[in-house]
Amino acid sequence: MQQFTVHKIGPEIKIAGIDLSFTNASLFMVISASLICLFLFLSTKQKKIIPDKLQLISEMLYSFVAKMISDTAGSKAKPYFPFIFSLFVFVLICNMVGMLPYAFTVTSHIIVTLIMAIFIFIAVTVIGFIKHGFKYLSIFVPSGVPAVLLPLITIIEIISYLSRPVSLSVRLFANMMAGHTMLKVFGGFVISLGLLGGWLPLSFSVALTGLEILVAFLQAYVFAILTCIYLNDALNLHH
Amino acid sequence: MMRNLSLILVQMLYLSDLFAAEAGMPQLDPKYWASQAFWLILVFSILYISISKFYLPKIKKNLEDRENKIKEDLDEANNLKNISEKKLKDYENIMTNATREVTKILLESKNILNKEIQVKKSAMEKEIESEISKAQREIINLKKESINSINSISEKIAADIIEKITGDKLNESSIKATAEEISKKNLVKYL
Repeated sequence: MQQFTVHKIGPEIKIAGIDLSFTNASLFMVISASLICLFLFLSTKQKKIIPDKLQLISEMLYSFVAKMISDTAGSKAKPYFPFIFSLFVFVLICNMVGMLPYAFTVTSHIIVTLIMAIFIFIAVTVIGFIKHGFKYLSIFVPSGVPAVLLPLITIIEIISYLSRPVSLSVRLFANMMAGHTMLKVFGGFVISLGLLGGWLPLSFSVALTGLEILVAFLQAYVFAILTCIYLNDALNLHH
Repeated sequence: MMRNLSLILVQMLYLSDLFAAEAGMPQLDPKYWASQAFWLILVFSILYISISKFYLPKIKKNLEDRENKIKEDLDEANNLKNISEKKLKDYENIMTNATREVTKILLESKNILNKEIQVKKSAMEKEIESEISKAQREIINLKKESINSINSISEKIAADIIEKITGDKLNESSIKATAEEISKKNLVKYL
Protein backbone atom coordinates (compact mmCIF):
# COMPACT_ATOMS: atom_id res chain seq x y z
CA MET A 1 0.00 0.00 0.00
CA GLN A 2 3.05 2.18 0.08
CA GLN A 3 2.49 3.16 -3.53
CA PHE A 4 -0.73 4.91 -2.58
CA THR A 5 0.66 7.08 0.19
CA VAL A 6 0.57 10.79 -0.32
CA HIS A 7 3.49 12.81 0.89
CA LYS A 8 4.32 16.45 0.82
CA ILE A 9 6.73 17.88 -1.73
CA GLY A 10 8.26 21.23 -0.98
CA PRO A 11 7.05 23.72 1.60
CA GLU A 12 3.81 23.42 3.49
CA ILE A 13 1.05 25.60 2.09
CA LYS A 14 -1.70 26.46 4.53
CA ILE A 15 -4.64 28.62 3.58
CA ALA A 16 -7.16 29.47 6.32
CA GLY A 17 -5.87 26.61 8.42
CA ILE A 18 -6.34 24.03 5.67
CA ASP A 19 -3.31 22.10 4.50
CA LEU A 20 -3.07 22.58 0.73
CA SER A 21 0.55 21.48 0.36
CA PHE A 22 1.88 20.36 -2.98
CA THR A 23 2.08 16.55 -2.82
CA ASN A 24 3.13 13.74 -5.09
CA ALA A 25 -0.54 13.40 -6.07
CA SER A 26 -0.56 17.03 -7.13
CA LEU A 27 2.71 16.48 -8.97
CA PHE A 28 1.27 13.65 -11.01
CA MET A 29 -1.89 15.62 -11.75
CA VAL A 30 0.34 18.38 -13.09
CA ILE A 31 2.41 15.85 -15.04
CA SER A 32 -0.70 14.31 -16.60
CA ALA A 33 -2.18 17.67 -17.50
CA SER A 34 1.14 18.81 -18.92
CA LEU A 35 1.42 15.66 -21.00
CA ILE A 36 -2.06 16.26 -22.39
CA CYS A 37 -1.29 19.88 -23.17
CA LEU A 38 2.04 18.96 -24.74
CA PHE A 39 0.43 16.30 -26.88
CA LEU A 40 -2.39 18.59 -27.97
CA PHE A 41 0.05 21.40 -28.62
CA LEU A 42 2.29 19.25 -30.79
CA SER A 43 -0.58 17.65 -32.62
CA THR A 44 -2.31 20.93 -33.45
CA LYS A 45 0.84 22.91 -34.17
CA GLN A 46 0.71 22.30 -37.90
CA LYS A 47 -2.56 22.27 -39.65
CA LYS A 48 -2.29 19.88 -42.51
CA ILE A 49 -4.90 18.74 -44.96
CA ILE A 50 -3.27 15.33 -44.87
CA PRO A 51 -2.50 14.80 -41.19
CA ASP A 52 0.68 13.32 -39.78
CA LYS A 53 0.53 10.63 -37.12
CA LEU A 54 0.26 12.93 -34.12
CA GLN A 55 -2.40 15.08 -35.72
CA LEU A 56 -4.27 11.98 -36.76
CA ILE A 57 -4.29 10.70 -33.17
CA SER A 58 -5.71 13.94 -31.84
CA GLU A 59 -8.33 14.03 -34.58
CA MET A 60 -9.29 10.43 -33.91
CA LEU A 61 -9.55 11.22 -30.21
CA TYR A 62 -11.74 14.19 -31.04
CA SER A 63 -14.08 12.23 -33.27
CA PHE A 64 -14.10 9.30 -30.82
CA VAL A 65 -15.33 11.52 -27.97
CA ALA A 66 -17.65 13.43 -30.28
CA LYS A 67 -19.23 10.18 -31.46
CA MET A 68 -19.51 8.90 -27.89
CA ILE A 69 -21.38 12.05 -26.85
CA SER A 70 -23.67 12.23 -29.85
CA ASP A 71 -24.50 8.52 -29.53
CA THR A 72 -25.40 8.65 -25.86
CA ALA A 73 -26.61 12.18 -25.20
CA GLY A 74 -27.64 13.46 -28.60
CA SER A 75 -26.96 16.79 -30.24
CA LYS A 76 -28.12 18.80 -27.24
CA ALA A 77 -24.99 17.78 -25.37
CA LYS A 78 -22.72 19.64 -27.74
CA PRO A 79 -21.95 22.54 -25.37
CA TYR A 80 -20.60 20.05 -22.84
CA PHE A 81 -18.24 18.43 -25.32
CA PRO A 82 -15.09 20.23 -24.08
CA PHE A 83 -15.81 19.17 -20.51
CA ILE A 84 -16.37 15.53 -21.39
CA PHE A 85 -13.33 15.57 -23.64
CA SER A 86 -11.15 17.03 -20.87
CA LEU A 87 -12.58 14.60 -18.34
CA PHE A 88 -11.99 11.58 -20.53
CA VAL A 89 -8.47 12.60 -21.50
CA PHE A 90 -7.54 13.56 -17.96
CA VAL A 91 -8.76 10.32 -16.42
CA LEU A 92 -7.21 8.30 -19.25
CA ILE A 93 -3.79 9.93 -18.96
CA CYS A 94 -3.85 9.78 -15.14
CA ASN A 95 -4.59 6.05 -15.36
CA MET A 96 -1.91 5.51 -17.98
CA VAL A 97 0.72 7.53 -16.15
CA GLY A 98 -0.10 5.47 -13.07
CA MET A 99 0.89 2.36 -15.00
CA LEU A 100 4.50 3.55 -15.18
CA PRO A 101 6.79 2.10 -12.51
CA TYR A 102 7.26 4.37 -9.47
CA ALA A 103 4.48 6.60 -10.69
CA PHE A 104 1.62 7.70 -8.50
CA THR A 105 -1.88 6.89 -9.68
CA VAL A 106 -3.98 9.98 -9.14
CA THR A 107 -7.25 8.18 -9.86
CA SER A 108 -6.58 5.48 -7.27
CA HIS A 109 -7.63 7.94 -4.59
CA ILE A 110 -11.28 8.00 -3.64
CA ILE A 111 -11.20 11.70 -2.87
CA VAL A 112 -10.10 12.56 -6.41
CA THR A 113 -12.70 10.43 -8.13
CA LEU A 114 -15.35 11.46 -5.63
CA ILE A 115 -14.78 15.14 -6.29
CA MET A 116 -15.08 14.60 -10.01
CA ALA A 117 -18.20 12.47 -9.55
CA ILE A 118 -19.83 14.93 -7.16
CA PHE A 119 -19.08 17.79 -9.53
CA ILE A 120 -20.69 15.84 -12.37
CA PHE A 121 -23.65 14.91 -10.20
CA ILE A 122 -24.28 18.48 -9.10
CA ALA A 123 -23.73 19.87 -12.57
CA VAL A 124 -26.08 17.34 -14.17
CA THR A 125 -28.77 18.02 -11.55
CA VAL A 126 -28.45 21.78 -12.01
CA ILE A 127 -28.59 21.41 -15.81
CA GLY A 128 -31.69 19.23 -15.45
CA PHE A 129 -33.48 21.76 -13.27
CA ILE A 130 -32.47 24.65 -15.54
CA LYS A 131 -33.69 22.85 -18.66
CA HIS A 132 -36.90 21.38 -17.29
CA GLY A 133 -37.68 23.19 -14.03
CA PHE A 134 -39.59 21.10 -11.52
CA LYS A 135 -40.60 18.74 -14.28
CA TYR A 136 -37.10 17.31 -13.90
CA LEU A 137 -38.36 15.54 -10.79
CA SER A 138 -40.38 13.31 -13.09
CA ILE A 139 -37.14 11.45 -13.72
CA PHE A 140 -37.98 9.62 -10.47
CA VAL A 141 -41.42 8.58 -11.71
CA PRO A 142 -41.07 6.24 -14.66
CA SER A 143 -44.11 6.01 -16.91
CA GLY A 144 -46.03 2.80 -17.47
CA VAL A 145 -45.57 1.54 -13.94
CA PRO A 146 -48.61 0.16 -12.06
CA ALA A 147 -49.88 2.57 -9.41
CA VAL A 148 -49.29 0.00 -6.66
CA LEU A 149 -45.60 -0.20 -7.43
CA LEU A 150 -45.15 3.51 -8.03
CA PRO A 151 -44.07 4.56 -4.50
CA LEU A 152 -41.57 1.73 -4.32
CA ILE A 153 -40.18 2.42 -7.77
CA THR A 154 -39.91 6.12 -7.03
CA ILE A 155 -37.94 5.43 -3.86
CA ILE A 156 -35.65 3.07 -5.73
CA GLU A 157 -35.16 5.65 -8.49
CA ILE A 158 -34.28 8.33 -5.94
CA ILE A 159 -31.80 6.04 -4.23
CA SER A 160 -30.22 5.06 -7.53
CA TYR A 161 -30.01 8.69 -8.56
CA LEU A 162 -28.38 9.71 -5.30
CA SER A 163 -25.95 6.82 -5.42
CA ARG A 164 -24.68 7.87 -8.82
CA PRO A 165 -21.69 9.87 -7.54
CA VAL A 166 -20.74 7.06 -5.19
CA SER A 167 -20.93 4.35 -7.83
CA LEU A 168 -19.17 6.51 -10.39
CA SER A 169 -16.29 7.40 -8.11
CA VAL A 170 -15.92 4.04 -6.37
CA ARG A 171 -15.88 2.21 -9.72
CA LEU A 172 -12.88 4.12 -10.96
CA PHE A 173 -11.06 4.27 -7.66
CA ALA A 174 -11.58 0.58 -6.83
CA ASN A 175 -10.54 -0.58 -10.26
CA MET A 176 -7.36 1.42 -10.22
CA MET A 177 -6.49 0.50 -6.67
CA ALA A 178 -7.27 -3.19 -7.09
CA GLY A 179 -5.22 -3.41 -10.25
CA HIS A 180 -2.20 -1.76 -8.75
CA THR A 181 -2.48 -3.78 -5.54
CA MET A 182 -2.63 -6.97 -7.54
CA LEU A 183 0.41 -5.99 -9.53
CA LYS A 184 2.19 -5.23 -6.30
CA VAL A 185 1.18 -8.56 -4.76
CA PHE A 186 2.44 -10.50 -7.77
CA GLY A 187 5.60 -8.41 -7.82
CA GLY A 188 6.09 -9.31 -4.17
CA PHE A 189 5.67 -13.00 -4.99
CA VAL A 190 8.36 -12.73 -7.64
CA ILE A 191 10.79 -11.44 -4.99
CA SER A 192 9.81 -13.91 -2.26
CA LEU A 193 9.86 -16.97 -4.54
CA GLY A 194 13.19 -15.98 -5.99
CA LEU A 195 14.90 -17.23 -9.10
CA LEU A 196 13.42 -20.71 -8.92
CA GLY A 197 9.70 -20.09 -8.47
CA GLY A 198 9.45 -16.45 -9.43
CA TRP A 199 8.83 -17.00 -13.09
CA LEU A 200 5.20 -17.92 -12.72
CA PRO A 201 4.15 -14.75 -10.83
CA LEU A 202 6.38 -12.76 -13.16
CA SER A 203 4.50 -14.00 -16.19
CA PHE A 204 1.26 -13.24 -14.35
CA SER A 205 2.61 -9.80 -13.67
CA VAL A 206 3.31 -9.26 -17.35
CA ALA A 207 -0.17 -10.44 -18.31
CA LEU A 208 -1.73 -8.31 -15.59
CA THR A 209 0.13 -5.24 -16.83
CA GLY A 210 -1.52 -5.70 -20.20
CA LEU A 211 -4.87 -6.19 -18.50
CA GLU A 212 -4.32 -3.11 -16.37
CA ILE A 213 -3.60 -0.97 -19.42
CA LEU A 214 -6.88 -2.20 -20.87
CA VAL A 215 -8.64 -1.44 -17.59
CA ALA A 216 -7.04 2.00 -17.46
CA PHE A 217 -8.51 2.82 -20.87
CA LEU A 218 -11.81 1.10 -20.16
CA GLN A 219 -12.39 2.88 -16.87
CA ALA A 220 -11.68 6.26 -18.41
CA TYR A 221 -14.14 5.37 -21.16
CA VAL A 222 -16.75 4.15 -18.68
CA PHE A 223 -16.32 7.27 -16.58
CA ALA A 224 -16.84 9.49 -19.60
CA ILE A 225 -19.73 7.50 -21.05
CA LEU A 226 -21.57 7.38 -17.72
CA THR A 227 -21.19 11.14 -17.52
CA CYS A 228 -22.74 11.32 -20.98
CA ILE A 229 -25.61 9.08 -19.90
CA TYR A 230 -26.31 11.21 -16.81
CA LEU A 231 -26.15 14.28 -19.02
CA ASN A 232 -28.57 12.62 -21.41
CA ASP A 233 -31.04 12.05 -18.56
CA ALA A 234 -30.82 15.72 -17.67
CA LEU A 235 -31.10 17.01 -21.24
CA ASN A 236 -33.73 14.68 -22.63
CA LEU A 237 -36.43 13.66 -20.19
CA HIS A 238 -37.48 10.24 -21.37
CA HIS A 239 -40.02 9.42 -18.74
CA MET B 1 11.56 -27.30 18.09
CA MET B 2 11.00 -24.50 20.54
CA ARG B 3 13.57 -22.47 18.74
CA ASN B 4 11.85 -22.95 15.42
CA LEU B 5 8.49 -22.11 16.87
CA SER B 6 9.79 -18.95 18.50
CA LEU B 7 11.44 -17.98 15.24
CA ILE B 8 8.15 -18.39 13.37
CA LEU B 9 6.38 -16.43 16.11
CA VAL B 10 8.89 -13.61 15.87
CA GLN B 11 8.58 -13.63 12.13
CA MET B 12 4.80 -13.52 12.32
CA LEU B 13 4.94 -10.65 14.77
CA TYR B 14 7.35 -8.84 12.52
CA LEU B 15 5.16 -9.42 9.50
CA SER B 16 1.96 -8.44 11.28
CA ASP B 17 3.70 -5.34 12.51
CA LEU B 18 4.77 -4.59 8.96
CA PHE B 19 1.25 -4.96 7.70
CA ALA B 20 -0.13 -3.01 10.61
CA ALA B 21 1.97 -0.06 9.61
CA GLU B 22 0.47 -0.15 6.18
CA ALA B 23 -2.85 -1.53 7.26
CA GLY B 24 -5.19 1.39 6.75
CA MET B 25 -5.60 2.40 3.16
CA PRO B 26 -3.80 5.67 2.57
CA GLN B 27 -6.79 6.71 0.50
CA LEU B 28 -8.90 6.91 3.62
CA ASP B 29 -6.48 9.12 5.49
CA PRO B 30 -8.08 12.58 5.38
CA LYS B 31 -4.83 14.40 5.98
CA TYR B 32 -4.28 15.40 2.35
CA TRP B 33 -7.87 15.31 1.12
CA ALA B 34 -8.18 19.05 1.02
CA SER B 35 -4.86 19.36 -0.78
CA GLN B 36 -5.80 16.75 -3.36
CA ALA B 37 -9.20 18.34 -3.92
CA PHE B 38 -7.64 21.77 -4.24
CA TRP B 39 -4.96 20.68 -6.69
CA LEU B 40 -7.39 18.54 -8.67
CA ILE B 41 -9.77 21.45 -9.13
CA LEU B 42 -6.94 23.81 -9.99
CA VAL B 43 -5.20 21.50 -12.46
CA PHE B 44 -8.41 20.30 -14.05
CA SER B 45 -9.77 23.83 -14.43
CA ILE B 46 -6.60 24.95 -16.17
CA LEU B 47 -6.66 21.86 -18.35
CA TYR B 48 -10.34 22.37 -19.17
CA ILE B 49 -9.86 26.01 -20.06
CA SER B 50 -6.82 25.38 -22.24
CA ILE B 51 -8.50 22.47 -24.00
CA SER B 52 -11.81 24.20 -24.60
CA LYS B 53 -10.28 27.56 -25.54
CA PHE B 54 -7.23 26.53 -27.56
CA TYR B 55 -6.95 22.96 -28.60
CA LEU B 56 -10.48 21.80 -29.39
CA PRO B 57 -11.31 24.78 -31.63
CA LYS B 58 -8.07 24.14 -33.50
CA ILE B 59 -8.84 20.47 -34.06
CA LYS B 60 -12.42 21.28 -34.94
CA LYS B 61 -11.39 23.96 -37.38
CA ASN B 62 -8.90 21.67 -39.00
CA LEU B 63 -11.47 18.88 -39.37
CA GLU B 64 -13.99 21.31 -40.83
CA ASP B 65 -11.38 22.76 -43.15
CA ARG B 66 -10.61 19.33 -44.43
CA GLU B 67 -14.28 18.52 -44.90
CA ASN B 68 -14.82 21.81 -46.73
CA LYS B 69 -11.78 21.21 -48.88
CA ILE B 70 -13.04 17.76 -49.81
CA LYS B 71 -16.47 19.15 -50.54
CA GLU B 72 -15.04 21.97 -52.63
CA ASP B 73 -12.84 19.58 -54.55
CA LEU B 74 -15.79 17.30 -55.21
CA ASP B 75 -17.91 20.25 -56.33
CA GLU B 76 -15.16 21.42 -58.63
CA ALA B 77 -14.74 17.95 -60.06
CA ASN B 78 -18.49 17.77 -60.68
CA ASN B 79 -18.42 21.19 -62.32
CA LEU B 80 -15.57 20.21 -64.56
CA LYS B 81 -17.33 17.00 -65.43
CA ASN B 82 -20.48 18.90 -66.39
CA ILE B 83 -18.49 21.34 -68.45
CA SER B 84 -16.65 18.58 -70.26
CA GLU B 85 -19.91 16.76 -70.92
CA LYS B 86 -21.37 19.96 -72.32
CA LYS B 87 -18.32 20.48 -74.47
CA LEU B 88 -18.57 16.94 -75.73
CA LYS B 89 -22.22 17.47 -76.60
CA ASP B 90 -21.36 20.71 -78.38
CA TYR B 91 -18.66 18.95 -80.30
CA GLU B 92 -21.05 16.20 -81.31
CA ASN B 93 -23.63 18.77 -82.40
CA ILE B 94 -21.07 20.57 -84.46
CA MET B 95 -19.98 17.33 -86.01
CA THR B 96 -23.49 16.24 -86.96
CA ASN B 97 -24.25 19.71 -88.35
CA ALA B 98 -21.09 19.68 -90.35
CA THR B 99 -21.74 16.25 -91.82
CA ARG B 100 -25.28 17.28 -92.66
CA GLU B 101 -24.04 20.39 -94.37
CA VAL B 102 -21.37 18.51 -96.21
CA THR B 103 -23.86 16.01 -97.57
CA LYS B 104 -26.12 18.88 -98.52
CA ILE B 105 -23.36 20.67 -100.36
CA LEU B 106 -22.33 17.44 -101.99
CA LEU B 107 -25.86 16.77 -103.15
CA GLU B 108 -26.31 20.30 -104.45
CA SER B 109 -23.10 20.33 -106.39
CA LYS B 110 -23.92 16.92 -107.77
CA ASN B 111 -27.29 18.14 -108.94
CA ILE B 112 -25.80 21.23 -110.52
CA LEU B 113 -23.17 19.18 -112.25
CA ASN B 114 -25.75 16.70 -113.47
CA LYS B 115 -27.89 19.47 -114.87
CA GLU B 116 -24.97 21.06 -116.62
CA ILE B 117 -23.92 17.75 -118.03
CA GLN B 118 -27.46 17.13 -119.17
CA VAL B 119 -27.70 20.50 -120.84
CA LYS B 120 -24.40 20.10 -122.61
CA LYS B 121 -25.23 16.58 -123.57
CA SER B 122 -28.56 17.55 -125.13
CA ALA B 123 -26.94 20.47 -126.96
CA MET B 124 -24.28 18.19 -128.31
CA GLU B 125 -26.86 15.62 -129.32
CA LYS B 126 -28.87 18.25 -131.15
CA GLU B 127 -25.79 19.46 -132.95
CA ILE B 128 -24.80 15.92 -133.86
CA GLU B 129 -28.28 15.16 -135.09
CA SER B 130 -28.39 18.28 -137.23
CA GLU B 131 -24.97 17.44 -138.61
CA ILE B 132 -26.07 13.92 -139.37
CA SER B 133 -29.25 15.03 -141.11
CA LYS B 134 -27.29 17.59 -143.08
CA ALA B 135 -24.85 14.92 -144.18
CA GLN B 136 -27.66 12.59 -145.10
CA ARG B 137 -29.31 15.27 -147.14
CA GLU B 138 -26.08 15.94 -148.95
CA ILE B 139 -25.65 12.24 -149.60
CA ILE B 140 -29.15 12.00 -151.01
CA ASN B 141 -28.54 15.03 -153.20
CA LEU B 142 -25.28 13.58 -154.37
CA LYS B 143 -26.98 10.33 -155.23
CA LYS B 144 -29.72 12.06 -157.13
CA GLU B 145 -27.19 14.12 -159.03
CA SER B 146 -25.10 11.07 -159.72
CA ILE B 147 -28.15 9.23 -161.12
CA ASN B 148 -28.90 12.13 -163.37
CA SER B 149 -25.32 12.32 -164.57
CA ILE B 150 -25.26 8.51 -164.99
CA ASN B 151 -28.41 8.78 -167.13
CA SER B 152 -27.01 11.53 -169.31
CA ILE B 153 -23.66 9.73 -169.62
CA SER B 154 -25.31 6.42 -170.51
CA GLU B 155 -27.55 8.19 -173.06
CA LYS B 156 -24.56 9.74 -174.64
CA ILE B 157 -22.60 6.48 -174.61
CA ALA B 158 -25.59 4.54 -176.03
CA ALA B 159 -26.08 7.14 -178.83
CA ASP B 160 -22.38 7.04 -179.66
CA ILE B 161 -22.25 3.22 -179.69
CA ILE B 162 -25.36 2.99 -181.88
CA GLU B 163 -23.99 5.64 -184.23
CA LYS B 164 -20.66 3.81 -184.55
CA ILE B 165 -22.29 0.41 -185.13
CA THR B 166 -25.18 1.40 -187.40
CA GLY B 167 -23.86 4.60 -188.77
CA ASP B 168 -26.99 6.59 -188.33
CA LYS B 169 -28.46 8.63 -185.64
CA LEU B 170 -31.30 7.34 -183.65
CA ASN B 171 -34.08 9.34 -182.19
CA GLU B 172 -32.70 11.10 -179.14
CA SER B 173 -35.90 10.83 -177.14
CA SER B 174 -36.25 7.09 -177.66
CA ILE B 175 -32.69 6.51 -176.47
CA LYS B 176 -33.37 8.63 -173.41
CA ALA B 177 -36.53 6.71 -172.57
CA THR B 178 -34.77 3.37 -172.92
CA ALA B 179 -31.77 4.48 -170.83
CA GLU B 180 -34.07 5.84 -168.13
CA GLU B 181 -36.00 2.61 -168.11
CA ILE B 182 -32.89 0.50 -167.74
CA SER B 183 -31.32 2.77 -165.18
CA LYS B 184 -34.53 2.83 -163.19
CA LYS B 185 -34.51 -0.95 -163.18
CA ASN B 186 -30.89 -1.19 -162.06
CA LEU B 187 -30.45 1.88 -159.96
CA VAL B 188 -33.31 1.05 -157.66
CA LYS B 189 -30.91 -1.30 -155.91
CA TYR B 190 -28.59 1.59 -154.95
CA LEU B 191 -31.08 4.10 -153.82
